[in-house]
Amino acid sequence: MATTRRQFLELVGGAAALATARLDTAPAFAQATPVRMGVLTIKSGIGAQVGEAGLRSAQWTTDRINKAGGILGRKLELVVEEESTPKDTVERFRKLALQNKVDVITGVISTGVSLAIGPVAEELKMLWISWDGTTQKGVEETMPNPRYSFRSTDNECEAVMASIVVAKNWKGKFRTVAGINPDYSYGRDNWQAFLWIMEKYGNPVTPVSDLWPKLGTTDFTAHVAALQQAKPDLIFSSHWAGDASVLMKQAHAAGLVGNTKFVFVVAGGVHETLKKSFTPEGMFLGYNTIYFDYADASPLQKQFVKEYNDRYKEWPVFECERAYLVTSAYKAAVEKAAKAIGGKWPTTDQVIDALEGLELESLGGKARYRKDHIPECNFYGGFTTYKNRFDFVTIDPVVKMTGPEVQKPSGVGLKDWIQSWKV
Amino acid sequence: MVAAGLQLVFGVQKIVNLACGSFYALGAYFGVTVVTRALAAGLPPPLFLVVLIAGGLALAAIGPIVERVLRPVYDRDESFQIILTFALVLMFEDITRFIWGSSPYQMGNVYLVYGQWKIGRLTVPVYNLIVIAAGGLIALGMGFVLSRTRFGRIVRATAENREMSEALGVDMRRIYARVFTLGTALGTVGGALVIPATAVTLDVAVEVIVEAFAVVVISGLGSMRGTFVGALLVGVLKAVAIAAYPELELLVIYVIVIAVLVLRPAGLFARAAA
Repeated sequence: MATTRRQFLELVGGAAALATARLDTAPAFAQATPVRMGVLTIKSGIGAQVGEAGLRSAQWTTDRINKAGGILGRKLELVVEEESTPKDTVERFRKLALQNKVDVITGVISTGVSLAIGPVAEELKMLWISWDGTTQKGVEETMPNPRYSFRSTDNECEAVMASIVVAKNWKGKFRTVAGINPDYSYGRDNWQAFLWIMEKYGNPVTPVSDLWPKLGTTDFTAHVAALQQAKPDLIFSSHWAGDASVLMKQAHAAGLVGNTKFVFVVAGGVHETLKKSFTPEGMFLGYNTIYFDYADASPLQKQFVKEYNDRYKEWPVFECERAYLVTSAYKAAVEKAAKAIGGKWPTTDQVIDALEGLELESLGGKARYRKDHIPECNFYGGFTTYKNRFDFVTIDPVVKMTGPEVQKPSGVGLKDWIQSWKV
Repeated sequence: MVAAGLQLVFGVQKIVNLACGSFYALGAYFGVTVVTRALAAGLPPPLFLVVLIAGGLALAAIGPIVERVLRPVYDRDESFQIILTFALVLMFEDITRFIWGSSPYQMGNVYLVYGQWKIGRLTVPVYNLIVIAAGGLIALGMGFVLSRTRFGRIVRATAENREMSEALGVDMRRIYARVFTLGTALGTVGGALVIPATAVTLDVAVEVIVEAFAVVVISGLGSMRGTFVGALLVGVLKAVAIAAYPELELLVIYVIVIAVLVLRPAGLFARAAA
């Protein structure tokens, strides 16, 4: 049958319509530029080790997302800037937002920097999901009811976990305690939490020394001498960077390691520097939100740990988990928001709404962003052992605690929350 | 030792060398590298100190190069010297980052190779005593060189009156290069000696400069004896503050610096320098 002119026009018109329709139904953003994620991380100084670990993990997560098709078809791209002083980092935050025009900014490890970043994120209406700025001090003033800022877990989670484990396991075995903590809100909050929890558990202690070296101190000789003089039964420290192993090394050299019990609430973040030659067995060591050698780890964690070690010849630390959580939470929130609006690319406000209450699997297990923009994660810690294949200490058995077990609920003060416990 | 290097170079060359902190940092980084490699090559651990000091001394070879860079600003305003030497600090920081990376750097398990010394309830690592003794020996050595040798007399004469020394035939370029290299060696060996007990980071150079300046302000610019006493004073006061009232650890040093600047601006030992 010959094709009439009308039939031919209908056919061409139909094909054109179909072609147009196909172009229309494919998301407009699929053809567009990559999603740009700004990352602020520490690259030098005592926190560089931790910052580098976070960046490696953010890149691993990005590669993984891109291999799986990106975020709604758009590739994810990292734009990395250095985190240094609050003032300089705020300038770089503005640069990322205004000049690089990134879609979201992640990273930031230092509490002091995060306090400065919060108001700027709100002012620029720039979505910022923090890796690790954990303080609460000053947050009420600088970030009341933040809309665009998503913070990290509370300062004291690690200390709460360590204190509970210590109170249960060493009850009655120590009386005098000494604190040596970095002199900023993180160190001070942790020390206070420890003292409150000891009291709550009916384990009254007498502080005989509280020392506050500045963050990044690499000479603890005088501090160790002060601890020797104080002769505490237990030494509590929340040093989290390269200074933790220097402190332990100098404490060991001065003969403090022996009868004294040690609690290092988060030095697992630099675990490979805690060599067996100077780190005692039986010390409480907190690893924060991931323990690299966890037998019951998820397939995701096992894959990450293996690939990380294959590539960098190091074992991952908690900042890896933080960076993974934040990067994948952004992806999950964009996809959740897009689904709610029929597959279109969501606005920043829609992504924020999706992030609130979002549950996802992170490297350390299930995690969730609360409505108040604070995440809940699992925490890991335990008592050190030499029984492993490494030249540094590990923990056995591994204690795992969930976010609600170690982090106060929204709107409740830490002391009130601790006092409300039934122990 | 860093403060002594700062004093020496200022006393003779009248240049405020902020890069002395970088020499300390480089000495520490280089010390880790040479000792680690030497141990891996089979060096008996007790000999690590020899390699460490040799490494620090060898690194002082950068002194003449840096001194050559500084020559154009010898006769210029102090602000030029400070800007140039601070630029050197930043450059050395980036060079260090390039070679050793940005993570804190520590030495392996050699700190306790000489054992511990027990005095009653106190335990002191023997290595700490070696470092104290080395500091004392270096101070004595410096004193001997400056007061009893021909080189020392020329150095002192140059510090007193550069033009007259030059008129009497002193090769100023050579003296400057030697003095600067000696100042560099004080920094590099100082950094190397400290590293077994601690860790080094990229920003340590600036931290060390600040403390060295506090020592120099307290003792008085140009006074080597004063530097020795000033360094002891700063160290002891810091330790006492930590033991007695930790919150005063940093404040106590700067209170003294302010008091000296207000009451005796030339420094506690300024007369000794004259």
